[in-house]
Amino acid sequence: MSILTAEQQEIKKAAKEFVAKYIIPNAAEYDRRGEFHPFLLEAAKESKIFTMAIPKKYGGVGYDALTQAVVVEEWGYGCAGMGTTLAAGVLGMDSLLIAGTEEQKQRYFEPILKGGLAAFALTEPGAGSDAASVQTMAVRSGDDYVLNGTKCFITNGGYASGYVILAKTDPSKGVKGISAFMVEKGRPGFTIGAAEHKLGIRSSNTVELLLKDVHVPASNLLGKEGDGMKIAMMTLDMGRTLIAALALGVAQRALDECVKYLKERFPGKLQPGQTLQFKLADMQIQVEAARQMLHYTMNLRDSGLPYSKESAITKTVCGDVAMSVTTQAVSLMGSYGYTSEIAKLMRDAKIMQVYEGTNQIQRLVISRAVLSPAPAQAAGKKAA
Amino acid sequence: MNFQLTEEQQLIEQSAHDFAKEYLDPIVLHLDETGEFPKGIVKELANHDFLGLHLPADVGGAGAGFVSYVAVIESLSRSCAAVASIMNNQAMVSYAIQHWGNEAQKKQYVQALVTGETIGGFTIYELGPIPGIGPDALVATKKDGGYVLKGTKAYVRNAGEAGVYVVFGITDPADPNALTAFLVDAKATGLTVGPKQNTMGLRGCPVAHVGLDNVSVPETAVLGVVKAGREIAAKVLALASVAEAAQTVGIGQAAVEHAAAYAKQRVQFGKPVATLQAVQTLLAEAATDCYLARLGLRSAAQLVEDAQPFESEAAMVKSFLARLGSKILVDSCQVEGGMGYSEAMPLPRLFRDIAGTTLLDAPADFPDYTIAASIA
Repeated sequence: MSILTAEQQEIKKAAKEFVAKYIIPNAAEYDRRGEFHPFLLEAAKESKIFTMAIPKKYGGVGYDALTQAVVVEEWGYGCAGMGTTLAAGVLGMDSLLIAGTEEQKQRYFEPILKGGLAAFALTEPGAGSDAASVQTMAVRSGDDYVLNGTKCFITNGGYASGYVILAKTDPSKGVKGISAFMVEKGRPGFTIGAAEHKLGIRSSNTVELLLKDVHVPASNLLGKEGDGMKIAMMTLDMGRTLIAALALGVAQRALDECVKYLKERFPGKLQPGQTLQFKLADMQIQVEAARQMLHYTMNLRDSGLPYSKESAITKTVCGDVAMSVTTQAVSLMGSYGYTSEIAKLMRDAKIMQVYEGTNQIQRLVISRAVLSPAPAQAAGKKAA
Repeated sequence: MNFQLTEEQQLIEQSAHDFAKEYLDPIVLHLDETGEFPKGIVKELANHDFLGLHLPADVGGAGAGFVSYVAVIESLSRSCAAVASIMNNQAMVSYAIQHWGNEAQKKQYVQALVTGETIGGFTIYELGPIPGIGPDALVATKKDGGYVLKGTKAYVRNAGEAGVYVVFGITDPADPNALTAFLVDAKATGLTVGPKQNTMGLRGCPVAHVGLDNVSVPETAVLGVVKAGREIAAKVLALASVAEAAQTVGIGQAAVEHAAAYAKQRVQFGKPVATLQAVQTLLAEAATDCYLARLGLRSAAQLVEDAQPFESEAAMVKSFLARLGSKILVDSCQVEGGMGYSEAMPLPRLFRDIAGTTLLDAPADFPDYTIAASIA
């Protein structure tokens, strides 16, 4: 059931136009400079792209999951760095969709509806793959919680209007002592650290967040105390599918660039030999299989069925395909590949195997589901 | 059959290792950042006899053989593969002149290449799919007891720094087999070097197109004989594949060791991640690929040293690493997770470098074709 409806095709076309107009012409330059792209936020504001995941009743565009994947693939096709900014914006809202009250959603979505960005902050220097060992503390004090700690590798961290931050409310309870908070930009004691210089997705903003006695009202707690890791895992289930869509876009771009290049290099009757033909076929096989897996997972999500295992599989497949196809593309284009924007695709692809849980963590999720199918399907069972 | 380096070869390898620590470690980040050509380092390579390592003593070389040469390349590449690239391109030129050049050519160039006084550039590729074929082919027209060269050679390493280029052109546009090699002085009228290409890695080894707009060369500029170009190119590129494989193994080994050290000190789930089987597997597979590639390339290097045919073995090494070379870095970076993607750490640079030593110059079907042709 992955044949797009007429409406989805229209949306895809619009996303393609947005990408062609704003993203593709600027991607190489912002990558070279390793700089964030505020202009994209202005452009996105106009097109309401940020509100893609916000339901209509809150004033958003409210696309279903499959449609979101179709759009995000186009972002990845244009530039995985800018695509990461936009996709992480969606990720930063997913926790609200999962656990927010009506009041919280309205409050949190308001700046985003006006063109703001969201960010999701789980990772810490000591809590990467081992996300459950979060050290940031949130201590109740009157009507507030007081947050202290350091988050790292936070996408959009320097530019977001709203953050979802995971912190420990009860250190004695381990994973069940972690809670999720909405934190608005500009609260006293909340500062932005240095930006990372990365191998790829260089125009996306990745920073440290420093929290020193940051007060947030108790009404900013998402769900109940101790729900944090469950919310985070459900957020990542959603987020992984979007990373998969970005990765797919990168892979499709590499394939298209390769075909374009080979057609120019072998003009007229001159044809690339079977070795080249079959390599192209292998690239297409991987890209198409990855896309079908992604769309199937989104169908599950849109149908309200469990999709945690499928989300992990999809992220692994699409990330690995992006790495493999972009590497092959550089190889087929040789020196041209190495000295042109094609190399950017390969650098960008590498992150797809790493962020939102490395592909090793995905395999933990998948192997648990394989070894004990029913319980492992429930999200948030155990922190990966 | 002995698979170990001899005592002499081990000493040479150790001297390269020491050289890399003293001269390359301090500049590697600067080269990567600026792409600047390390002139002083080339001079030091010569002072340490590395530039003439593989050449016989009678032309000024150290006569240490090609196995020593690839051991040195591997050691240097652990620290800075860009410098190893410069050296490899120098070796391609000196090897070609030493093998096919006449006495006068050897006298004029080889000594200067060994002392680093002259840098060499090897120009084979063109913008068309096969050098010498199609509208982009560089054409050499016979005229007044010499040749006039017209065309563009693409993606030339050491371009702009080289004092002499080996230039391949066709002496008969109707006959693609008429590829002939010429020695062309960089100062020749009509020779221009295009803008430096922005390479993903191996930064410091310049890459540019070299244009020849009616460059006149005397008949004595022909390397070997007319129409010997394909033979020369095939052999030199095969030699370069073996040396490039040594670069790949050097880069890969450095990455695996860095990732292993990182894994030992990075604690997650209450223990170093090096204790996790999934991490051990990533490291073990990468180390295995380095080990097998090293055996293969040293075996091919021994054939070179023994003056045996080595083309198909060189192609096998190239094909093996075209499949697995980048994977060594993809997996090593993976072990370091988010840190393995941060340019504050060394692996991203190694990731960019290894793409340059494994994925390029393999007009996709070249190694497989050579291997297939050599079977039965």
